[in-house]
Amino acid sequence: MGGAERNARKKRQAQTTGRRASAPVSRGPSVDRKTVIIGVVVVVLLAGAVLGGIIYTNSQKNETEGQSIQTAAPQATYSARRDGAVVVVGEDSAEVTLDVYEDFLCPACRSFEDSYHEDIEKYVADGTVRVRYHMLPMLNDRSDPPGYSMDSANAGLCAADAGKFPEFHLSLYQAQPAEGSRGWDNQQLVELGKDLGITSSTFKSCVDGDEYDDLIQTHFDEVRETSYLQQDFNGQRGFGTPTIAVGEKVVEPSGPNWLDELVRAG
Amino acid sequence: MLDGIGVLVRLGLAGVWLVSGGIKVADLNQAYVAVQAYDLLPAGLVSVVAAAVPFLELALGVLLLVGLGTRVVAAVSAVVLLAFVGAVAQAWARGLSIDCGCFGGGGQVAAGETAYPEEIARDIGFLLLCAWLVVRPRTPFSLDGWLTGNRQDVEDTVDTGDPQGRT
Repeated sequence: MGGAERNARKKRQAQTTGRRASAPVSRGPSVDRKTVIIGVVVVVLLAGAVLGGIIYTNSQKNETEGQSIQTAAPQATYSARRDGAVVVVGEDSAEVTLDVYEDFLCPACRSFEDSYHEDIEKYVADGTVRVRYHMLPMLNDRSDPPGYSMDSANAGLCAADAGKFPEFHLSLYQAQPAEGSRGWDNQQLVELGKDLGITSSTFKSCVDGDEYDDLIQTHFDEVRETSYLQQDFNGQRGFGTPTIAVGEKVVEPSGPNWLDELVRAG
Repeated sequence: MLDGIGVLVRLGLAGVWLVSGGIKVADLNQAYVAVQAYDLLPAGLVSVVAAAVPFLELALGVLLLVGLGTRVVAAVSAVVLLAFVGAVAQAWARGLSIDCGCFGGGGQVAAGETAYPEEIARDIGFLLLCAWLVVRPRTPFSLDGWLTGNRQDVEDTVDTGDPQGRT
């Protein structure tokens, strides 16, 4: 009870002091006080904008969670086999072997695929071209959360093991997530495999278990240091994706006939 | 005269924030790429900063436009701009090749396409606008003026910090 009394006394005292302090401004709050209130309101509004922005952005980015990745089918069917961290598509007897270095998140790689995947499919199907796909985690930190480049590259190798690489590869490019977006997670990559007809249970454990991450990373470290793959980017030499090479020579895919010309020359 | 300049400064800075924030909000994925390119923050924080900055800029712009809490908003703007200058300066010092992403865009660019001095100079220009508003926050056509009484003497009162002096 004594405590309650003390509290009550304190409260009374506080009230009296408060009254005394504010006594001169009996005609409404002072300009000073209003300014302080406005300042507090403004800080709260700014904090609200930040918090709301973070919540909104997260929910917007997470909209793709659980969605299924649209499947796509190449116009021709052919086999693909995994060779280490590389997927080889086409006949060993092909006249021309293309080395394609790409990243599933890289927009320029998507442009390359959009422009030329049909030509490549045609030549692979008729046995004139063989393609060695090197899927690399070049832009691994450009998805939010990071890691889509590696996850998708790993899933690509798993899909090759399961015999569905051409479909898997084409589907992932046609449904490419934007840089800075969430990317597709392993669960969605597994679902895509299932939708494409992969039935083996090892595919799921391969994707979920990041089976080939180390292999891919080692291969990527070698590739980016390979001297014949370095190109000029405005005076700076470096490795970038996509890079297309025939033998130890980088070729520039441009115009509608670059592949025809390669095949004729080959 | 000073009032006229003040209102132009306020609306000018408001326009800067509204445009820069608006462009970023329209492409939040790009904002992530831009923040990530500074190579300054761990991945978890990149995500948070890239989500927060566009909306903070928009809010600063709206508050400046309506003239609410102008001094506080100008001070926060200055802090944000100083952080931007610091981020650009460290990218420059470390030899990164990035676009600041100040007004959209951002991310890696070719070595010859960086514009660090221009970007920093531009931010310093904006900082001068902030400084004006911190020193002289009261401008015509503002909610501040409307809420606290839009008389010229009110401004003096606020500036001297002695509200009783005039009443």
